[in-house]
Amino acid sequence: MVSSDQSPELGSVLKCVRCGTCRSVCPVFEEFGWESKTARGRMLLAQGLIRGELEPDQEMIESLSMCTTCGICEQKCPAGATPPKVVQSARQQLVQKGNATSAQLQMYTRAAETGNPLGETANRKQWIDEESEEQKNSEYVYFVGCLGSYRYPELARKTFRILEQLGVALLEDEKCCGSPIMRTGFDAGEFVSHNLDQIRKSGAHTVITSCAGCYNTLKKDYPDEFNVMHVSEFLAEHLDELDLKRLDLTVTFHDSCHLGRSHGVYDAPRRVIEAICDLKEMKSIKENARCCGGGGGVRTGYPELSMKLSRKRLAEVPDNVDYIVTACHLCRNNLIEGGSEHEVIDLVDLVCLAID
Amino acid sequence: MDLAEQLRNIGIENISSSPSQMYCYCTDASQIRGMPECVVRPRNTEQVSDIVKFANVNGIPLVARGAGTGMAGGAVAVKGGIVLDMSGMDRIISVEVENLQVLVEPGVVHSKLNEVLKPQGFFFPPDPGSSEMCTLGGLIGNNGSGMRSVKYGTTRHYVLDLEVVMADGSIIHTGSKTLKSITGYDLTGLMVGSEGTLGIITKALLKIHPLPKARSVMLASFETAEMAGEAVVRTLASGIVPSACEILDSTTIQALKSYDPQLDLSDAGAILLFEVDGTSGAVREGIETIKEVCSSLSFHTKAAKDTAEAERIWSARRMVGAAISRIDPKRTRVYAGEDIGVPIKEIPLMLSHIHKISEESGIPIMIYGHIGDGNLHTGMAIDLLDSAQMETVNKIADRIHRTAIMLGGTVSAEHGIGAARAEYVRMEKGNALDVMIAIKKALDPKGILNPGKMGV
Repeated sequence: MVSSDQSPELGSVLKCVRCGTCRSVCPVFEEFGWESKTARGRMLLAQGLIRGELEPDQEMIESLSMCTTCGICEQKCPAGATPPKVVQSARQQLVQKGNATSAQLQMYTRAAETGNPLGETANRKQWIDEESEEQKNSEYVYFVGCLGSYRYPELARKTFRILEQLGVALLEDEKCCGSPIMRTGFDAGEFVSHNLDQIRKSGAHTVITSCAGCYNTLKKDYPDEFNVMHVSEFLAEHLDELDLKRLDLTVTFHDSCHLGRSHGVYDAPRRVIEAICDLKEMKSIKENARCCGGGGGVRTGYPELSMKLSRKRLAEVPDNVDYIVTACHLCRNNLIEGGSEHEVIDLVDLVCLAID
Repeated sequence: MDLAEQLRNIGIENISSSPSQMYCYCTDASQIRGMPECVVRPRNTEQVSDIVKFANVNGIPLVARGAGTGMAGGAVAVKGGIVLDMSGMDRIISVEVENLQVLVEPGVVHSKLNEVLKPQGFFFPPDPGSSEMCTLGGLIGNNGSGMRSVKYGTTRHYVLDLEVVMADGSIIHTGSKTLKSITGYDLTGLMVGSEGTLGIITKALLKIHPLPKARSVMLASFETAEMAGEAVVRTLASGIVPSACEILDSTTIQALKSYDPQLDLSDAGAILLFEVDGTSGAVREGIETIKEVCSSLSFHTKAAKDTAEAERIWSARRMVGAAISRIDPKRTRVYAGEDIGVPIKEIPLMLSHIHKISEESGIPIMIYGHIGDGNLHTGMAIDLLDSAQMETVNKIADRIHRTAIMLGGTVSAEHGIGAARAEYVRMEKGNALDVMIAIKKALDPKGILNPGKMGV
């Protein structure tokens, strides 16, 4: 028998009492109905791997890779099990055994070669305004993230324009935070060390990020040497200094899993929204919010599934709203691609509308 | 040719035989294990019939499974063969409020039915803790019940007719669309609780009940579980029929608080949760009577301040079985000896027997459950990596089962016999088991339907 000393993960796996509560909430299970696609099934697969009773097969790879790591199973689990952590650890085992999917391998190779999982070779800071005077040393730095740097440069500019007024600097040489690399089971140690050196060098005590994935990773997977704030938290703290005008709009807010359920950041984005306009909530919110389907590598690996989940989330948008607001790049993109009838904007976009 | 391939050849789809998928289906919430050769997710009665015919001709074990939330291995393929995952047959076919009935497929999740019925002012009264995930097929197969059985009875009381695929693949209807019928033997009653050993349920016509106008919840705290047990005996003897009467002992209270820190529960030796439903006058009167009866035994009583608080208490209570795992990070709740029932007046004695067994074995045993109908759930959380502890748990479960039988009780009031409790059927039922075996042989001569369960 494998002991808990030999495999600390086994303890987490055995927390599952197989009551099946996760069947009632897992959005991926809802699409398939097979036991392997529940959190309970994934816990069993992880157990089989650890005990050496199972070898990876197509079903296992698919089951573990299809988890969006949204964490609603953990939220609802009466026994206190932590399936997203177990899934990540099982993915690591799959990688070690040479069973990563081609999409995962491609992403990892791109990240190793270019410093970002998108494989972008351009200068990471090309988004910066020419007129922007980059501050060197500050107690606060803005961690832009790969999506901000390469996919949403306009949003990165808007964010930094606000933040630099509040004394926030940039890191000299930022790389991917490591999130997609770790979540798919690879080793992101080099990325963590590099960014950690950069943060130490900057002298900052607080890192601010506008990406929920970066936020989750900086907070959970980096040493506890600095504070991490999401831009929504930072803006909520500085509402008085932003001089926001009231807009005649009604918006709804989509809680990102990695910001909300993972870290309990529910109120800050809502405070910012309510300082600007009316908020009409979606059908499921905060700790019960439905996943948009974009996380955990599902967007890249299983686009069809990802879009189905996105459409189900969009069906929860209330009537008569002007915008869907998110505080996560990945969610925003997934909700747009899911065919949202409403314009999906970032919280920072909304703030910019309210700044004269 | 493997089994999955043979099934595909007769036109069956939705089959998996991958080792990983089989591993996910090799168990339920019990400690029973059994590896199926393949799993099929049928879409309709005809497919089920084709699969059963095939299994019967070839002598292959066939196990029906709902959500796999059972605690006795009822849905585990202990003899291998085919698992029929019925959860995909999940249509609510019709809701006929005028006839007080609904027609459903077995894969409908319990809570989904009540979500549909609520706006029409009706409900399906059996109220299992696993409401959010268990299927109606599983509930019928186990004759499950839950927190409101003290007033509303068990699932058996609400099944009017079943469409069943018999072991030879033939399709029968066991009952009638009428609310009463005495034509022929009560095959509906026979099928309910037969755990898939006599046939595969493919449709169920269920009786529904109007929602009560009012519900009120009261909590009474006691120094000891035995005093709570005595209060239950006196309450029920006073003529009041609460719609729920649950006990939580001190460890269970801790587990509930850990699951939902906002719950306002006193640190008592035991708490009784009473619910009374009906008209608002009857509810008020019922709560007052219970308060009065409990007053000489309890040190504190309080009413839930509103519906939201009452619902919060019930939803936490539904989850407490698994929440026991939260008390110690290294321990996991195991289900063994967890579902005994005793005659109501024997409750205090059964409680003290359980405490004695706990003391002698050195393993804490927490007690919760539907004490109002004599159904006590016991909970043990152990280090699953320590095989000696698992052995002790099995010995404890054996003592609990034997004690319940000695007191005129039962080894399972609602969770099922499955494989985990099959050895006690003879002890509890005596030569009635021979009649059950004869029925099983008559209806399933090749023994393909859920073999290794219920002692038959």
